[in-house]
Amino acid sequence: MSGLRAQRRRDGVTRAVVLTAALAVFMLPLAWTALAAIGLRANNNTRPPSWVGSPTLDHFRDVGIAEPAFWQEIATSTASAACAAALTVAASLLAAYGLARSRFRGNRLLTQAFLVLASLPAMAYVIPLSDLMRRSQLVDTFAGLVLTEAAVTAPLAIYVLHGALSQLSSEWEEAAWLDGAGLFRVIGQIVVPLAAPAIAATTIIVFVLDWNLLLVPLVMTAGQIKTVPLAMIDFFTFERELEWPTAAAALIISLVPVVVLVTVFHRVLDRFALNVPGFD
Amino acid sequence: MRLTRRDRLVLFAPLVVLLTGWLVLPAVLGLSATFTTYAPFGVAIRLSGLQNYAAVLRDGEFFAAVRNIAIFTIVAVPLELTIGFTLAYVLRRPIGRRWLWRVLLLVPWLVSPVANGVMWRFLFGSATGLIDFGLGWLGRPDIASPISDVRLALPTTIAVEVWRIAPFVAFLVLPGLSSIPTERWEDATLSGAPWTRQVLDVALPSLRPLLLALTMLLIGLALGTFDGVLILTGGGPGTSTVTPALYSYKQAFEVNDWPTGAASAWLIAAGVLGAGLVYLLLARKRQSA
Repeated sequence: MSGLRAQRRRDGVTRAVVLTAALAVFMLPLAWTALAAIGLRANNNTRPPSWVGSPTLDHFRDVGIAEPAFWQEIATSTASAACAAALTVAASLLAAYGLARSRFRGNRLLTQAFLVLASLPAMAYVIPLSDLMRRSQLVDTFAGLVLTEAAVTAPLAIYVLHGALSQLSSEWEEAAWLDGAGLFRVIGQIVVPLAAPAIAATTIIVFVLDWNLLLVPLVMTAGQIKTVPLAMIDFFTFERELEWPTAAAALIISLVPVVVLVTVFHRVLDRFALNVPGFD
Repeated sequence: MRLTRRDRLVLFAPLVVLLTGWLVLPAVLGLSATFTTYAPFGVAIRLSGLQNYAAVLRDGEFFAAVRNIAIFTIVAVPLELTIGFTLAYVLRRPIGRRWLWRVLLLVPWLVSPVANGVMWRFLFGSATGLIDFGLGWLGRPDIASPISDVRLALPTTIAVEVWRIAPFVAFLVLPGLSSIPTERWEDATLSGAPWTRQVLDVALPSLRPLLLALTMLLIGLALGTFDGVLILTGGGPGTSTVTPALYSYKQAFEVNDWPTGAASAWLIAAGVLGAGLVYLLLARKRQSA
């Protein structure tokens, strides 16, 4: 067993080294940004480089001056991402359940095809979509934005939810069917409670995807409806380039809601997995 | 199976409406429009055959975009998978505060591609940037921002994207890796197999379906690269980081050459659907084996 113990010790050292390096590479840029947002900046013109500034919350206030509607845009982003995520997950859950509990030729192929559809970049279809939306007067409306965002993430949601639902035993459902329960009773009282963690995890991931979308709001809106990523590209147009601390503060503000979300729901996110169907 | 035909209709209807109306229909209508001179505010529409595609393929900028995205995908996807897998591999054994590690793995992905571009632009900028700060401490002179260097812009764009995506790959691979029973790792260790054999014989076979699906998603993500370069480089300097998606967007919405924009966008779709076909074949092969 000593070989195993020596191996364990070596593994422990390797692990510490890799994790420390990873922590530095992946967290340092964000820490740098967070420091700039609270007024602590590097000065690279001195040798060795030094730090300037003192802690202040002024830059967060500056965001509201540079982009007066920023708080409004945070609200729009939150509302549209929440509505789109809810719509995506509701429609995908029903379809995923239908797929998981049906046996027809090509069932697995269809599920795998949803993964391919999920990989399709939105750029492939937003150009004609923007034209269709303009013609149906849905451009620059909240509903138009939500429906488009919901369609973008639906293929991924159905793929993930299908994986989660096919792992559920159908025993309880069978019992409920025998008792004469209807479709929506079975789904509402048995399937949803059993799959609740996976459904919640999928909703959170889809929410983050929607929150960060740029191309879709870019072509589906014309100034009335504005989300946070749209505001961010505005920071760099009109011949103005935002001061770094202000941009950093805006970046931190846009990041905080999603970081809080995944931290609060970390237990649920443990259940987010790509369960690939058709392999076993 | 107790689902009746009516049940299935009810279950599939919302998704079918959503996907047909907002994805499939625009895609198909868009495809057919690329064989005409259609533009939203155009007057006469006539069939133009493959002229739009010919125009796109003759454009040197599109050619540069295809070359860039090919390099981007070939370099970024394996890097994301390798770094992601390595991180998941070292986190596979029980570790204190594992939930915190999983949350930390998610954080770079929570930064939107646009915000990521904003952030790295400043980190590379010399006055307050992270790179020059590090160089300064090492006593080295400042360097020009790599995103304004023709040769370095594309590798830098790739690095910035890998920074955002690799930890997310680890987040997705970790559940699969930690669900492999400990005994199987220990058997491999006791038989004196080096760690490379552990990875090849224990980890990869059971993760093959997951890694295949992830590769598909990452290839689609890479081929559609748009917001990652929009702020960071804007496609420049010159055409050194322009991507097909950026090209399509500019053609359709900035140059107002709708037919070229729509046709080039369909070439991106063709690339992803081609990769999708390979994916479906690989997935099927495994199923029958």
